[in-house]
Amino acid sequence: MRKVALRGLFARKLRLVLTALAVALGVTLIAGTYVFTDTINRSFDRIFAESAKGTDASVTPAKAIDTSDNGGTQPTIPVSVLRQVRAQDDVQSADGSVFDVGTVLGKDGKRIGQGGAPNFIASVADQPRFDAFTVKQGRKPRTPDEVTIDASTARKQKFELGDKIAVVATAPRKDYTIVGFTQIAGVDSFGGATVVDMQLPEAQRMLGKTGFDQIQVAAKPGVTPEELRDELRSELSRSVEVRTGQEEARKQSSDIRDNLGFLTTALLVFAGISLFVGAFIIFNTFSITVTQRMREFALLRTLGASRSQVMRSVITEGLTIGAFGSIVGLALGVLVAGGLRALFKAVGVDLPSEGNVIASRTIIVSLVVGTVVTLLSSLAPALRATRVPPVEALREGAVPSAHGPSRKVTVAGVLLGAVGIGLMCIGLFGSLSDNAALSLMGGGALATFLGVALTSPYLVRPLASLVGRPFERTRGITGRLARENTIRLPGRTAVTAAALMVGVTLVTFVSIFASGIRETIAKAVDDNLTAAFVVQNTDGFSPFSARVLPTIARVDGVSEVSAVRFSQARVQGVEGETPVSGIEPATFTRLYRVSEGAAAMRALRDGQTVISKDFADKEKIEAGQTLQVTTPVGRRLSLRVAGIADDKGDMTTSLTVTNDQMLSAFGEPKDAFGMVRLEPGANEPQVQAQMSRVLERQFPEAEVLTADEFKDNIAGQVNQLLYLIYALLALAIIVSLFGIVNTLVLSISERTRELGLLRAVGTTRRQVKRVVRYEAVITSLIGGVLGIVLGIVLAVLFTRPLDDFTLSIPVPSLVVVLVLAGLAGVGAAILPARRAARLDVLDALAYE
Amino acid sequence: MNLPGPLLVSAADITRIYGEGEAAVRALDGVTVGFPKGRFTAIMGPSGSGKSTLMHILAGLDRPTSGSVVLDDVEITKLDDRRLTELRRERVGFVFQSFNLLPVLDARENIVLPLSIAGKRPDAEWLDKLIATVGLGDRLDHRPSELSGGQQQRVAVARALASKPAVVFADEPTGNLDSKSSAELLELLRRSVDEFGQTVIMVTHDPTAASYADRLLVLADGRIVHDGEANTAEDVLDLMKAVG
Repeated sequence: MRKVALRGLFARKLRLVLTALAVALGVTLIAGTYVFTDTINRSFDRIFAESAKGTDASVTPAKAIDTSDNGGTQPTIPVSVLRQVRAQDDVQSADGSVFDVGTVLGKDGKRIGQGGAPNFIASVADQPRFDAFTVKQGRKPRTPDEVTIDASTARKQKFELGDKIAVVATAPRKDYTIVGFTQIAGVDSFGGATVVDMQLPEAQRMLGKTGFDQIQVAAKPGVTPEELRDELRSELSRSVEVRTGQEEARKQSSDIRDNLGFLTTALLVFAGISLFVGAFIIFNTFSITVTQRMREFALLRTLGASRSQVMRSVITEGLTIGAFGSIVGLALGVLVAGGLRALFKAVGVDLPSEGNVIASRTIIVSLVVGTVVTLLSSLAPALRATRVPPVEALREGAVPSAHGPSRKVTVAGVLLGAVGIGLMCIGLFGSLSDNAALSLMGGGALATFLGVALTSPYLVRPLASLVGRPFERTRGITGRLARENTIRLPGRTAVTAAALMVGVTLVTFVSIFASGIRETIAKAVDDNLTAAFVVQNTDGFSPFSARVLPTIARVDGVSEVSAVRFSQARVQGVEGETPVSGIEPATFTRLYRVSEGAAAMRALRDGQTVISKDFADKEKIEAGQTLQVTTPVGRRLSLRVAGIADDKGDMTTSLTVTNDQMLSAFGEPKDAFGMVRLEPGANEPQVQAQMSRVLERQFPEAEVLTADEFKDNIAGQVNQLLYLIYALLALAIIVSLFGIVNTLVLSISERTRELGLLRAVGTTRRQVKRVVRYEAVITSLIGGVLGIVLGIVLAVLFTRPLDDFTLSIPVPSLVVVLVLAGLAGVGAAILPARRAARLDVLDALAYE
Repeated sequence: MNLPGPLLVSAADITRIYGEGEAAVRALDGVTVGFPKGRFTAIMGPSGSGKSTLMHILAGLDRPTSGSVVLDDVEITKLDDRRLTELRRERVGFVFQSFNLLPVLDARENIVLPLSIAGKRPDAEWLDKLIATVGLGDRLDHRPSELSGGQQQRVAVARALASKPAVVFADEPTGNLDSKSSAELLELLRRSVDEFGQTVIMVTHDPTAASYADRLLVLADGRIVHDGEANTAEDVLDLMKAVG
């Protein structure tokens, strides 16, 4: 008897651990995300605060629109402003500086920076007090041919003092001599970026700037930074902003924080998905244990326990598991954040921090979310426990009876699913703000999942027949028993499979979506690009020097080139910011095909714009109207709509202007994309090789690709994102596997007697394992099939409103997903199968 | 008592001790006994007498602490789990007190379960005969939950006989049945011995049940205290009172 009791305790302990883990993994991601991003944020806070120590006031260009996120080039401060600043009474000294993106080549001749870490070119201040970067080893540059680089890059690239290093930006490639290694705020790396410091005039030349990105000001003794700031503000023009040194530091770190905000949100969304899946598992586990303990509850009720006491006992269990899981998740989250930091350090992003930042917000959110999710999921089973009539205690047989799916639940499921799809449709097709639309679609997806989960008990039987038949055919009695076991309590199997379904749906959805994007882009390139080659930045998205394309145009065999630029604008009467593209009217339509509006593009002049058909339809703008536009540098323009273009390849954006206007009015001096046409009869590979050689020598930041290479390049970028999403979804799938393990373990303990009987009449341990394994595989295949179907439905639905989206269903990928789901079932079955096989025949048969 | 015919199952000096040290319980204490082919033996005894332990050891479900058991010419106490499982599947049939059937399979599937497990095709002629004997012709498609307790036990007997085992062990097969169903079930076991030459060993505490057997073993405190003909229920009852 003691043995039985111990075994029961162990079964419960295992259940506790598995259930708690289901919560813990979601919480881990929440806590890990917070700790990690908080740590990064604090690191940058420190870097900026430290490096601004010697600066009392900072003058920066005013930006009407911040285009830096889109690779746009920032306006600069005219030199006259520096003279004006220096003339102020309270100013002791002031220096202008530049700091912008460039390209720094490693010893292999390729751009430095794993994982897209940026390269910067910075100017060295004359006065050490303004220097953010301090020399750790060597000295500062004394001639225009000398640079210092950050010590971390030097170490990774094995640069020695005296080595040559190639840098390129707006000016062509130049090889500098390294004379020093720098640090910022006491650490060797500026958040993983590569930073090259050079003398101010040389940095300006390299970056193609005549003015400054920042003017740093020191106050005379007795003048506070705030006084200095206010004085400068009242004296200087509105085209610049003035902050104290520390305000500027806070602004810089908050800009970085905003950029990281996207990462935080994305990670939290995936944490939410894991928790949602975890909720299924908690619900299922509690449902099963409540059913198994019906007699116990009935006995308690007979002995005089009230309904609320029974309810409380179940809820207490939920609270305990929730709290336990949340604490474990929090602890794991801190470890994960530490691991992420170590990972970043390993790839060279050396973040300056003494340790993890565990904000009280992290602790509170993690614990509250984990506990509340668990509590909510255990509520329905707890309610059911209270409805046990006391007489149940006297009834024979503790094994739950196989009652069919409840009609009420099914109706609720269908309704919920319909509401979910409805919400998603409103989000998709309704004219709502992006945030409202996204929330509606997210909520709709959630409701759809729940709806399908509630309805799926009806689907379990046919699906089990479908996926179970091969097992029955080939495996005989073990396959048959496995299939029967999955359908004896369809609700239980349904919820277990639904947990996996969520993950599989999302995987299916993103792979269809990604495959559609790849196809769409490939089609756009095939249909619209008539150029032989395209030119882009080697990182795939940053703009490049405007001198690149003229250089290429001089290569033998090249007939003509055409540049495309991108910027943004605020258009009067249009909400938010509107993307603007710049073209060369003379050449653009010869290298790129637009369905409508080519003539207007060819005739485009300064002061005019061609707008996209979508934009015209949405904002109800007609040709001939005049738009009032504010550019990123704060210029106000009147642009007459010269025509409406239909660009199926989406190369051009809502507004299209000339590249001249892009430079003069939008302040965008760089090209984002270039197209190259060859002379008739030119040898393509030869000309490409020649162009590549020229670029390598002068502008290694840019590359020339054929249309096919360009398609592959984009597909590669899409895939990279896809794999990242897969990795994050893997967490949700792992959580759902815990659910399969849990359900199997609980079901097996219910079926102890059956297993004993099976063993007594001659079933081998291996066969018992097989039954359990097939049951797990059938369950996970049900989840896989449901997920793939739902994923396809959602993908079709979501991509409907996208114009010209080529829907392509990656059948091989989906087959792989299904096979992986089955294999996951095999994995999930390992522990339960072992337990089932280990069962002692006599113990199992023991009937008191 | 002298026994006719060759011994199908025999136990030599088997002892079974549960637990260790002072808490050790001697469930069987040097039992030596043989069971000839084609006979129906009932094992009786008060609670804790060791009758179930004896049956479990004879059937290869449990191992003795010492002693040996030979079943159908195989020494089974040294067999590993796989061999024992095979032995049970091929040479032993079981009828338990309750929960004999898998709820997810219908009556016919339950009957052929040991054959299915072994991956063998049932002998159709034998199966028909068996089904006719247990009288379940019209209920073969029903699942256990749709059968009465008596019907379930008859399915269990058919299952035990389906693989033509060397010996059928029945552990309190009538324990949960009313007297009419009990009588039907015992009659069925009796017929399997008389008509098919089956060897049956049954543990029971019901004197009426024991009276269907050819031979009665009575255990007390882990030893055999009586071995003789099973007579009427009254005789058995008197005997049991004497054993106390």
